[in-house]
Formats: sequence, structure tokens, C-alpha cells
Amino acid sequence: MNVLIVDDFSTMRKIIKNVLKQIGIESVIEAENGKMALELLKKEQIDLIISDWIMPEMTGIDFLKACKSEEHTKKIPFIMVTAEAQKGNIMEAIKSGVDNYIVKPFTPEKLQTAIEKAKERVGK
Amino acid sequence: MDVQYINPFIVAAQVVFKTMLGIDVDMGKPQLKNTCVTSGEVTGIMGLAGDKKGTVAISFRETGAKYVYKTLIGDECETVNQDVVDAVGEITNIISGQARKEFEKKGINLNAAIPMVIVGKQVEMNFITKLPIISLPFYFAVNNGQGDEKEVIYIDFSFE
Repeated sequence: MNVLIVDDFSTMRKIIKNVLKQIGIESVIEAENGKMALELLKKEQIDLIISDWIMPEMTGIDFLKACKSEEHTKKIPFIMVTAEAQKGNIMEAIKSGVDNYIVKPFTPEKLQTAIEKAKERVGK
Repeated sequence: MDVQYINPFIVAAQVVFKTMLGIDVDMGKPQLKNTCVTSGEVTGIMGLAGDKKGTVAISFRETGAKYVYKTLIGDECETVNQDVVDAVGEITNIISGQARKEFEKKGINLNAAIPMVIVGKQVEMNFITKLPIISLPFYFAVNNGQGDEKEVIYIDFSFE
């Protein structure tokens, strides 16, 4: 499985990479924001997207909307990672078609469950 | 200070260290700090504003900061470099987020700023409140609990 991690903070990308490694996923591509991620999606075969919410250039929610409106990306399971546990944010992501979301802090098991549910939702 | 302002920080520390680092922390005796200086050697500091205002500082010894980096990222680190500083910043951000969630349950809504990390012991900090600073020490075992070695993290905060 090839995972695209989108986060402007390199430490958070490393943390997610380390958590993915613990659940047996080692193939990871990184992007600093939604804009860079969209460019990568044109070139790479991606099986799962894990994206932060607050990023410069293009926020997670705008990136999500862009992914879900494109034919070649809308079937890729999309998980939003956020530290903002406010319900309003989560509802906005759900309305925009997010396949699952995870609130920091999270365990490897919680991420694994989120991935499985996101894959199920898009029928993968 | 009202005890309802202390509990969210205790819960946040316990939840975040358990979920992100797999560490059980034991809280020591809370103390009042008379000086506004860092308790440990690597300190993440964050302002909170909204229905209430305050500052929270999460302070590690050098060994504790490197242990957090190793556990979070999966790499060894010899010295407190930029990567360790960033990891402490992120864990501060997550603990603050968890504490805000606990405050929200009590009907208190807060926003947080971007954390800043200070490296150095007894470095002067700027707290936005005038009230006394409460210092909560949390202890945890390193080396998978083998031996008696214990690390300590201090959560210092002032809230009004």
C-alpha cells in the first residue's frame, strides 16, 4: 500500500510514518500541503491519503474537496488528521466527503481501524 | 485556583503519553512555583485564550526529550537538535489540544497559539497571567520499565 502523508510539519509526518511502520505500512510519500499533494497525485499511484487540517497554501479541507471532485482521486480513501476536536470541523469534513478522520493523539491500533473503515467506505 | 482548571491538564498528560508514547505517567505532588522560569531543559510553551486565558509549559529533562523523540519518531538522537525541539513542540501542541477538549466538556472554549520551544534550564518565561503558577510533576519509567530509572516531565500552568 502506497500512502500519501500531507502535513506542513515534518515532525508530524515523521510521527505518522513511524505509526504506519508499526502497523506494517512502509511505503510512504510525503507532501507539505494540499497543492504539492495534488501534483504528486498526478504522477504517483496512491492507495491512501492521510492529511492534516491546517496547512499553508492549501488547507486540508480544500485539498479534500479537490480530491473528491476529481475522477482519478475520488476513490482514494481519505483520512483527515486533526488536533481540533471541535465538532464543527469534523462535520465540515464529513459533508465534504472525508472517508474517515482521526483526532490526535492516536494509537497505531486507532489509525489501523481508521484506515480499514476508510477503505471499506470507498469499497476497496 | 479552582481545581476544575487543573484536572484537564492531568487528564491530557495521561491520555497523550499513553496513546502517543505508550507510557503510563504517575503524577507527583503539585507545587506552586514562585519564579517564572523553566522547570526542565527542553520546554514547550503555549498560550491559551478564549473563555479563559492562560499559559501552559511542558518541560522535559534532556534525556526525557530525547526519549520522547525516539519513541515518537523511531530514531535515536544523541543531542537535543532541531528534530528533538520540533518533537517537543508537537507533543506540547497535542497535550494542549487534549486539555482544550477536556475544558470543552466543562463548557469552557479555548483557542491555542503555535507552541514555542525553549532550550535551557531556569530560563525566564513570559506567562500572560499574574496568578501563581501550578507545577505538576509526572513520572514515568524508561527502558521498558527495567531498572529504577525514572524520567520526570513538568506541566506548569497558570490560568484565570
